[in-house]
Amino acid sequence: MRTHGSYNDEASDEALLSGVAVGDDRAVLAFVRRYQRRLFGLALGIVGDPGMAEDVAQEAFIRILRHAAVYDARRGSVATWTLTITRNLAIDAVRVRRPIPTAPEDRTFLSLISNDRSPDDAASMSESVTQARFALAALPNDQRRAIVLAVMYGRTASEVASLEAIPLGTAKSRIRLGLAKLREAAAIMEAP
Amino acid sequence: MSRQPEESMKCEAISDDLIEFALGTLSGRSRSQVLDHLESCAHCDAELESLAGVVDTMLWLAPEAEPSLGFETRLIERYRASDTRRLTVRRRRASVLAVAAVLVAVLGIGVDAVLTTHGGATNPSTTVRPTSSQLTADGVVVGHVTISSGSPSWMIMDVDAGKLSGLVWCEVTLADGRVETVGKFTLSHGYGSWIAPIKSPGSLVRSARLVNTHGTVLARATFAT
Repeated sequence: MRTHGSYNDEASDEALLSGVAVGDDRAVLAFVRRYQRRLFGLALGIVGDPGMAEDVAQEAFIRILRHAAVYDARRGSVATWTLTITRNLAIDAVRVRRPIPTAPEDRTFLSLISNDRSPDDAASMSESVTQARFALAALPNDQRRAIVLAVMYGRTASEVASLEAIPLGTAKSRIRLGLAKLREAAAIMEAP
Repeated sequence: MSRQPEESMKCEAISDDLIEFALGTLSGRSRSQVLDHLESCAHCDAELESLAGVVDTMLWLAPEAEPSLGFETRLIERYRASDTRRLTVRRRRASVLAVAAVLVAVLGIGVDAVLTTHGGATNPSTTVRPTSSQLTADGVVVGHVTISSGSPSWMIMDVDAGKLSGLVWCEVTLADGRVETVGKFTLSHGYGSWIAPIKSPGSLVRSARLVNTHGTVLARATFAT
């Protein structure tokens, strides 16, 4: 197949997806290179196993590339779309392998709870993401754990209650309060 | 955003489920109930959007990680193998080009061979070898055109241009300036391959062009005289 033109680092995500949609191999390659570390990192964080994370990340890419033509910018950014697809696939993969929820202590994705992060990672984050990270770190420990279990591991309130050995109502309120504080932090940042 | 008291009670009743909906962990009947409520409640719809925004931002907090060596290659191969749309287009194009190759052989080299057999030394002006040219749009190659100069003459066009799609007209300009419309074709996802007869002698064709239904020239090819 012939390809025409090229895609540099400054090409927008939308431009790359448009190229993918019309079958341009260069757009496919540029898109994969832009997102592979991000998608693999998210998948690895959720599933905890590099082999399984690769399967998840590859499947996520295949779905994204196949559906590039129907991507609708009104429903969110390309980045959010790709991360959400990856998250959902990773959560499904974990559920298939471990139908009974387990605590995330045996996973590699504990940095959000433990608060460790390399300076390089911090430098590469956008301001809003850095702010979200600070807001998460500022949550009480029990709320932070509930949020990470629910958002990153796709655990229902009922599963969070079971994993944390707390009543369902307590699990729900931890998630609710945690999300409210994160939202509040985001709103403060957006305010002029 | 003002709500009726009854509506507000409904919102209160589904508030926990709305959070689980935003987290993507709600299923079954509860999910259906939330969807039904969202149909008629702009307040909860806005609330959902806000919650989903928080969840989306959280996904960025996952640390990046380097996949194993060869990840990219394995992915591209898998994608190519699974891309049925492209395979279909390629197969269609391959079959058209196979027919084209036969036509070129028969109309071009075949006639040339006949002339050589019967006439001894071949006069270059009477050979009917097909001529080819690149089809370009804004200086970028978007396809190829081949025209046989036998009788009848045939045009073989192969387009691979991402930005061109839909119905197009193909026209050729002759040595005397006349324009002949070859036919109407469809580009699908930027691809198109077709063969069509040309009424005028192929040797007289000086250029070919693709024109959209509004008359705008999308791409053109010129042939050496």
